[in-house]
Amino acid sequence: MKRMAKIIIMSALSVLIMIAALTGCTASKANNTLIVGMELAYPPFETKDTNGAPSGISTDLANDLAKYLGRPVKIQDIAWTGLIPSLQTGKVDVVISSMTITDERKKTVDFSDPYAHSYLALLVNKKSNVTTAADLNKKGIVVDIKIGTTANTYADKNLTNATVNVLASENACVTEVVQGKADVFIYDQLTIYRQNQSNLDSTKAIMIPIQDKEDWGMAVKKGNTELLNKINTFIAKYKSDGGFEKLTQKYLPQEKKTFDSLGFPWFFD
Amino acid sequence: MKRFRNPTLINKILSALAVAVIFAALVWISMKRIGLNLDFSTLFEYKKRLFDGFKMTIIISFASLIFSMVLGMLIAMGQRSRILVICYACRAYIQIIRGTPLLVQIYFFFYIVGTAWGIDNRYIAGVIILSIFEGAYISEIIRGGIESIDKQEYEIARSIGLTDIQTFRLVTFPILMARILPALAGQLASIIKDSSLLSVIAVIELTQTTQEISAANFQMFENYIFLGLLYFILTFAVSMLTKWLEGRYKHENRD
Repeated sequence: MKRMAKIIIMSALSVLIMIAALTGCTASKANNTLIVGMELAYPPFETKDTNGAPSGISTDLANDLAKYLGRPVKIQDIAWTGLIPSLQTGKVDVVISSMTITDERKKTVDFSDPYAHSYLALLVNKKSNVTTAADLNKKGIVVDIKIGTTANTYADKNLTNATVNVLASENACVTEVVQGKADVFIYDQLTIYRQNQSNLDSTKAIMIPIQDKEDWGMAVKKGNTELLNKINTFIAKYKSDGGFEKLTQKYLPQEKKTFDSLGFPWFFD
Repeated sequence: MKRFRNPTLINKILSALAVAVIFAALVWISMKRIGLNLDFSTLFEYKKRLFDGFKMTIIISFASLIFSMVLGMLIAMGQRSRILVICYACRAYIQIIRGTPLLVQIYFFFYIVGTAWGIDNRYIAGVIILSIFEGAYISEIIRGGIESIDKQEYEIARSIGLTDIQTFRLVTFPILMARILPALAGQLASIIKDSSLLSVIAVIELTQTTQEISAANFQMFENYIFLGLLYFILTFAVSMLTKWLEGRYKHENRD
């Protein structure tokens, strides 16, 4: 019996020590660096330069936002499905990652006013007979989707008869369409346009939007109204100052011309 | 050496409880520290998909175990072949497979080899890839087993006039099984965990199901904790099996 008591006391002690150790080392959070989360896998919005430093439209936007707030900035590269959890756990202050504002996401995070818009389009294998969005929801049609994108939500809702593959990376989706493993990859117009340009002999692009426009917003932790209000003022000011035109000219001058000539709406219009 | 008395049942139970309390407290404190409140109720909605994924993980793991055992045996025999080309081929296979990440192999086999040879079914491709991967490890287990058999056993077999086939059936095989069965069962636990990587080619097993659910309900922590629990149920069962097998085949160490 004595030994048993010993065991119990020992384990109680070790739990106490652990609690003490864990609470004792709380880091002070006096640091006012603005930590911005984005997935650096969506050029030219979020990407890395040849040295591995974050670059792109969203990076510039993050820098300008931090300048406006008067805070130093740190950009963190986080996989797409980890972005919202990072906000929830306070690992990042704001997510600027071409994220569409959706009702589902609104349940877990707060969004700023929209700063850009995009439309879903289709990258189709040349041999496939898909010509419009109406051809998608049929048995035998294979549709590739990047996980967690709005195309993922679209497919869950509308493509109940087609075979839908949910993949982790954009490149895998494009490879499957190029190889004919999949008929269609659904993503935003710009990506589809660019991927089609680099795979002209095996793919065709269907740029007619398959659903209503999607608004992109910056996301903050639910209830962080203070930061959100500042972000909204920043976006309004940035718009009126012509900041988005500058970003377009810096990163996407050619695409802007093509989109204009095809009559497609532009991201920041 | 003095033999320890077996611990009493009540001691066992209390000790196990103490360990459980310590681990649970650690997890609980970590979550409190970051102000995380978990709500597992939304997972209930997805019970059918989770169950399907769970089944798929088991099916893929078992299919891969069987194929990788066949492959492992062939490779282990090939490695001992006197024809040098076969021997080198088997060694190269083991080196390459064990020396590269499974993720690289999955992409390489599915998108390049699979496409070239017309293997488009993700599930078949997944089982083939996993079997090739695990086969390399299993062949090493088998080789180790074969090499551990004492040469005297063969000499005795020959001296009592057993034919080659009889020797294999009555001497090599039983000893080999006793030695490698626990290790093979342990390998099954690895296969179960490794199969989660097949999610990158959209094989809808347990991990992929969880990823898809996370993309829809954003409850990443709840989903992944539950995922861990499901894998643990599988691997814990396998580990119990391994232990039982070890006990059963330990005749030689019995006193």
